[in-house]
Amino acid sequence: MTPPIRNDQSQGPLTTAMFHVLLALAGEDLHGYAILKEVELRTGGEVKLSTGTLYGIIKRLLDDGLIAERRGRPAANDDERRRYYRLTTKGHAVAEAEAERLQKMVELARSRRLLKRLRPAQS
Amino acid sequence: MAETTFKTTGFYRMLLKLLPADFRGDFGAEMEQTFEEQHAEASRREGFGGLVRLWWATIVGIFATAPREHWGMFRQDAIFALRTMRKNLGFSVAAVITLGLGIGANTAIFSVVHAVLLKPLPYANGERMLVMAQQAPQEGFFNQPFSVKDLNDYRAQSRTLDALVEYHSMAFVLLGGREPQRVQTGVVSANFFEVMGVKPLHGRLFVEADDNPGAPAVLMLSYAYWQKAFGGDVTVLNRKFTMNDRVHTVVGILPPLPRFPGEDAVYMPTSACPFRSSKQTIEGRGNRMVSVYGRLRPGATMQQAEADLAVISKRLYKDYPDDYAPDYSLAIKPLREEFSRGVRTTMLVLLAAAGFVLLIACANVANLNLSRAVRRERELAVRSALGASRLRIFRQLLTESFLLALIGGSVGLLLAWNGLGLLKSIAALFTPRAAEISLDGTVLLAALGAAVLASMVSGSAPALGAHGHIAQSLKEGGSAQATAGGNRRRLRSTLVVAQVALSLLLLTGAGLMLRTLMNLQRVDAGFRSDNVLTMNIYLNFTKYNDREKRGAFWNALLEHVGKQPGVRSAGLTMLVPLASDPMDMTGNFIKEGQPIEKGQPQPVGDFRVVSEDYFKTLEIPLLRGRAFSAADRDKAPAVAVLSKAAAEHLWAGEDPVGKRFSADNGRTWTTIVGVVGDVKQLGLDREATDEMYVPLQQTPLLQASLVVKTAGDPVALAGAVIRQIYDIDPNQPAAQVRSLEQVRADSIAAPRLTTTLLGIFALVALGIAAAGISGVMILSVSQRTHEIGVRMAMGARPGEIVGMVMRQGMTLVLLGSAMGLAGAFALTRSMQKLLFHVGASDPATYLSVAGVLAAAAVMACAIPARRAAQVDPLVALRTE
Repeated sequence: MTPPIRNDQSQGPLTTAMFHVLLALAGEDLHGYAILKEVELRTGGEVKLSTGTLYGIIKRLLDDGLIAERRGRPAANDDERRRYYRLTTKGHAVAEAEAERLQKMVELARSRRLLKRLRPAQS
Repeated sequence: MAETTFKTTGFYRMLLKLLPADFRGDFGAEMEQTFEEQHAEASRREGFGGLVRLWWATIVGIFATAPREHWGMFRQDAIFALRTMRKNLGFSVAAVITLGLGIGANTAIFSVVHAVLLKPLPYANGERMLVMAQQAPQEGFFNQPFSVKDLNDYRAQSRTLDALVEYHSMAFVLLGGREPQRVQTGVVSANFFEVMGVKPLHGRLFVEADDNPGAPAVLMLSYAYWQKAFGGDVTVLNRKFTMNDRVHTVVGILPPLPRFPGEDAVYMPTSACPFRSSKQTIEGRGNRMVSVYGRLRPGATMQQAEADLAVISKRLYKDYPDDYAPDYSLAIKPLREEFSRGVRTTMLVLLAAAGFVLLIACANVANLNLSRAVRRERELAVRSALGASRLRIFRQLLTESFLLALIGGSVGLLLAWNGLGLLKSIAALFTPRAAEISLDGTVLLAALGAAVLASMVSGSAPALGAHGHIAQSLKEGGSAQATAGGNRRRLRSTLVVAQVALSLLLLTGAGLMLRTLMNLQRVDAGFRSDNVLTMNIYLNFTKYNDREKRGAFWNALLEHVGKQPGVRSAGLTMLVPLASDPMDMTGNFIKEGQPIEKGQPQPVGDFRVVSEDYFKTLEIPLLRGRAFSAADRDKAPAVAVLSKAAAEHLWAGEDPVGKRFSADNGRTWTTIVGVVGDVKQLGLDREATDEMYVPLQQTPLLQASLVVKTAGDPVALAGAVIRQIYDIDPNQPAAQVRSLEQVRADSIAAPRLTTTLLGIFALVALGIAAAGISGVMILSVSQRTHEIGVRMAMGARPGEIVGMVMRQGMTLVLLGSAMGLAGAFALTRSMQKLLFHVGASDPATYLSVAGVLAAAAVMACAIPARRAAQVDPLVALRTE
């Protein structure tokens, strides 16, 4: 699975797309296609990830230990190529920190009167 | 539907191929599945438009992800490789140095090959330019200059050339700077640079009007002279200087160009040159003094030009039978050939040699890698067990060798960069394009290419060898390692054999060149070059405008210099032997009492003008009759001295002394008064020509070289001699002040460079190969420690153990030598052109290089053999 050569440094800061994937997994454990759908749904169709982008993100999140593959699958007749991912404790903490950071940014923006009303975070 | 899905997945799978194999292995199936669902949904909900959007987004996504993933993978590999390299510092340093030497050698040689042979000529129309020469082989003319009449006829009649330009070079004195300066001046047709396709750096080129008789005299400066004399100051434009008693205005500055046609400081149009614009030059069909270059009309071929010019030369002979020989014709060749004349073979041999050095270096690093693979076996096996694919491990190993090669390449570039100045200065002695040699983009790219190639060659053999038995090695442990060890030992032995073979090949090439150089140095040139100072003196044409004035100057000069303390004797000559660019002074003559029958060619001699003491100064032996004396002055009966070759060829079977000949169809007659020894005038590797010397007093030249035999170091006396010239005429500079030893050494600069470089390459190769043999034998001994212990326990004496190891090593060496000798026999033929008085398969050379190699190999095997003999059987038996 993961190459035996471990990459122990994180590959830079969290991107918006990565954050979306973490948010999607914060609700429940999902497989790849479900993550795509979830992100699309939650952003009202504004963020559509392609498979290439999604799995690039998944690889990075796995390498950084923010998500992990879930053992076992929900149904026996599930397509065996599917893999389910879950948020790790570390992933949870990172997502939380990021959400807080964004919230502070939004508050700052509001104090500078850049925002009139609340809007969901967007890419 | 099923078929559509199949097609869709197939295409998607092709897209996935862009991603790293590992990534595909980890996520490929999952991605396919996800995509199938995306595809199905898009098709269901949005129809064709949705599918197009999905495909577009997917393709963009993969194209964006692939480079990132590849780079990430390379970074990981590189970090890991660097860590491994630090852990094996000894190995890494050895590999970097070895590859550095190989890549450095290749980069340096390639920079020369690139500048001299490959790069287009630095003239926009360079590829269309032709060098033209008049020839009449039966008369002994091969490279005769043109007269203005010749040129004008070809210019008017040629249909395949759209322009003909002329050139000749003279030394004039330039007044108006800080001090009078003798400047070498290229005299060219006004359209010369325009036809070649050169644009001025500053100011303008010559224009048609500059060539009109009586036009104001103008000059263009060469880039080098502009830098040297004016420090690159543009205000020199429009400045006025005096030359040949006329005011000359600088109108333009040329960009950096090859030293071609000659090494000229300034250029002037033909109207400004006092010789070229004289009535005599313009109207005398036989007054041949200019070189001519033609430019092919676009679309015209060499063959067409040859046919076209042949028609004109036949017509010229028909119209002016007195001025052309019956077999008169025109020889043309592309300008490009003229530029690489004589260096092509040298450069290709050197490039091949550098290539061999790199191969040997690669073989050595491959061998180091293989020895290391023994120790790395477990590491690789563990990684393989952890799920790393074969490709991944292969890639990891290749990354390691690529990084090694890259660092080695940087070391190589540093080496090449350091050697470039030296290489340039030597190359300048035999190619006009030496100034263009540099480590430019192309050369850097070639160095990178060499590094990549080196990493492939040195890294892939061990990497390929590695994965085959990793799994086995885990499963079966010792026994698999034994087979793998066997394979690897064979591969290592093969590499050593190849190294020995290539080293021997290089040694042979170097040996042959060394023999050539020694033969050249040993050539009896016919004169003594030690303690002789030479310098060229070009008299100012306007000042020394008649025979008497010139004669008086030369006499005064010889008298002054002769009195200078430290001077043994002094002479003047039109031509210093072995100096490059010999002037062609062949001429035909008739012998008294032997009229030439119609249609028979006239005899031809090489005329030389020398002063009375020239033979004495250069110690050219007098064989018969007498040399020139003070009595052979102007108005006295004309006399000549023949060289031995001239006497034997032109007066075969008779004593020439006392015979008379005429070089002007019987108007005046010259008496031969003596015969002197032959002199290698044109090159140490050339036959002496039929030289006919006439005294300077009877032919007072405008230009001559002073030769001074000194008691001590000749160059130390140069200042004093030049002061003597200033005493006679303060406006009279001297040029090309050198010792005759230097002239002689410079004349064999090309073979010397070849020998030096091939020698260096061969020694480097030998060193690497010896290290390779040693390394392989040391490893072999350490692997056989147990066996050696058993042998010793059973009574083998240390001498027998030494013999066993030596035998094993020398078998490889013998095998390699046999292959190397066979290779040398086949390949050295291609360098026959570079050799002098030694055959390409000279047995003595082959034997001695084989001896050198054997000696090096014995030393290389001695260390492991001694180590083997010192094995303590008790310890050896205990260690398994």
